[in-house]
Amino acid sequence: MTDAPAIEITRLVKKFGDAVALDGIELAVPRGSVFGFLGPNGAGKTTALRILTGLARPTSGEARILGADVSTAGNDVRSQIGYLPDVPGFYPWMTAVELVEYAGRLFGIGPATVRERAESLLEMAGLSDVRTKVGGFSRGMKQRLGIAQALINAPSVLLLDEPTSALDPIGRREVLEMIASLRGRTTVFFSTHILADVERVCDTVAILDRGRVVANAPIAELKRRAAVDRLVIEVDGDVAMLISNLEGRPWLRSIERGEGVITLAVSDLKLAQRELPAAIAATGLGLKRLEGAEVSLEDMFVALVRRAEQ
Amino acid sequence: MSGFTTFLGKELTEIRKTWRIWVIPGMLIFFAITSPIIAQVTPALLGSISKSQPGMVVKIPPPTWRDSYAQYLKSLSQMVLIAVVITGAGAVSGERSSGTAVLTLTKPVSRAGFVLAKILSQAGLLIVATVLSTAVCAALTIGIFGSAPLEPLFTAVAIWTVDALLLIVVMTLFSAGFASRGASAGAGLGFFFLTLLISIWPVASRYSFVGLMSASGRALGPQPVDALWPVVTALVAAVLCAWAAVKVFERQEL
Repeated sequence: MTDAPAIEITRLVKKFGDAVALDGIELAVPRGSVFGFLGPNGAGKTTALRILTGLARPTSGEARILGADVSTAGNDVRSQIGYLPDVPGFYPWMTAVELVEYAGRLFGIGPATVRERAESLLEMAGLSDVRTKVGGFSRGMKQRLGIAQALINAPSVLLLDEPTSALDPIGRREVLEMIASLRGRTTVFFSTHILADVERVCDTVAILDRGRVVANAPIAELKRRAAVDRLVIEVDGDVAMLISNLEGRPWLRSIERGEGVITLAVSDLKLAQRELPAAIAATGLGLKRLEGAEVSLEDMFVALVRRAEQ
Repeated sequence: MSGFTTFLGKELTEIRKTWRIWVIPGMLIFFAITSPIIAQVTPALLGSISKSQPGMVVKIPPPTWRDSYAQYLKSLSQMVLIAVVITGAGAVSGERSSGTAVLTLTKPVSRAGFVLAKILSQAGLLIVATVLSTAVCAALTIGIFGSAPLEPLFTAVAIWTVDALLLIVVMTLFSAGFASRGASAGAGLGFFFLTLLISIWPVASRYSFVGLMSASGRALGPQPVDALWPVVTALVAAVLCAWAAVKVFERQEL
């Protein structure tokens, strides 16, 4: 095994007519990592995944999986990846076991191994006792079946497009645990707009907005970068006066109100630090605490997307 | 087992497990059974109509095996070919719109293999169903009319089968090229009726595949039929259409 990234995207551009879906994105996903590909709807996540799977061609740039260019590698790459589309399509006349076994046979896996793997994957997906045809499955069942079929070849790279979007909380937890369990053995690249999922299982995250990567780093580092943009203020009185004093200031992005505490999201930390003591003093309140706060992934996501929009 | 053979196996299983097993084979068997019966009763029916109209005299020769075969072939050339167009319209576009093409093509199956498996499975279904139904038609014709030569029927049906196989490949091309099943069905019907229209021109009918239908009809007559040009041009056109279908599908984004 080389040290080259499992997935490497270089200056990838995808245009549909005049519309730019991907605008020169660059990514490198380390082998064995769980990589979150975050972005609002329409950001270009599915387009990027379609290019990685060879279902679409880039307008320019290059995408490589395990060192091979996906637009020319063909079956060599496909035999090493597992893919779950955002809306998986299955043959409605098949049962779950027939479908997973069919997927396995497409990879040339022998009948005994296919049967064994299908059994354990359907067990994991909670579908081992389901005997009805796939056509009668709910969306959540289809999504779990999609994950099972994506794992049938024990892929080196697992590409998941919104894998938890149709799942109930228990199903979601199980899928996330399954994804986390693959860490170190399989490179998992999954797109989502559910920040809690990313926070739960991902090592590294890239945030995509309108076809551009606006951030790409380990979650801890992104949070560290963003933490200084959040301030917690505790005062010894009614915070309403302080809030009305602060509202409208150019550096203030948002205020969260608590009991005697407010949390500010600020766009210009230095200016905020200069103006805040005077503002608190002007209200006559006593300052008990003023400190930087840990930012949530959601704050970070909103901040980065807004920054990109500006 | 390779991705191609697995996908071809899936296609054949799908035919067996879904409505597809009933459409073309069902129609063929239906026409194989009803054609000899219709040929037998038609003169009697027309005679009874003429008797009910005073002053009207209709002289109809007694029915023969040739009427039975001609009735069967007429049904194949019209109804079954239109059914081939309608069912073939969704061959590729149906998989694309339902998302199942993505399921298969993100595994080690080439787009060429995908298209060729579609053609082979449909062709296999048509050939098997045609052989069975033609055997049924021949047996019933012999049963009803006493004796009947088999060669004219088999020659006529063999020429018709070439026409139907070409239509299957053309429909696969349209299905790969058009986004919806409706659009490819429309294009297929346009192709079907256009070839009928062009076949009126004797030169085209003699030297190209548009003459297959009239050649299959002539095969039931007393003269030997020469269908070499229509058959060869049909096979060449089928190969070209299959190649075009692969190229069109390879260029598409899913």
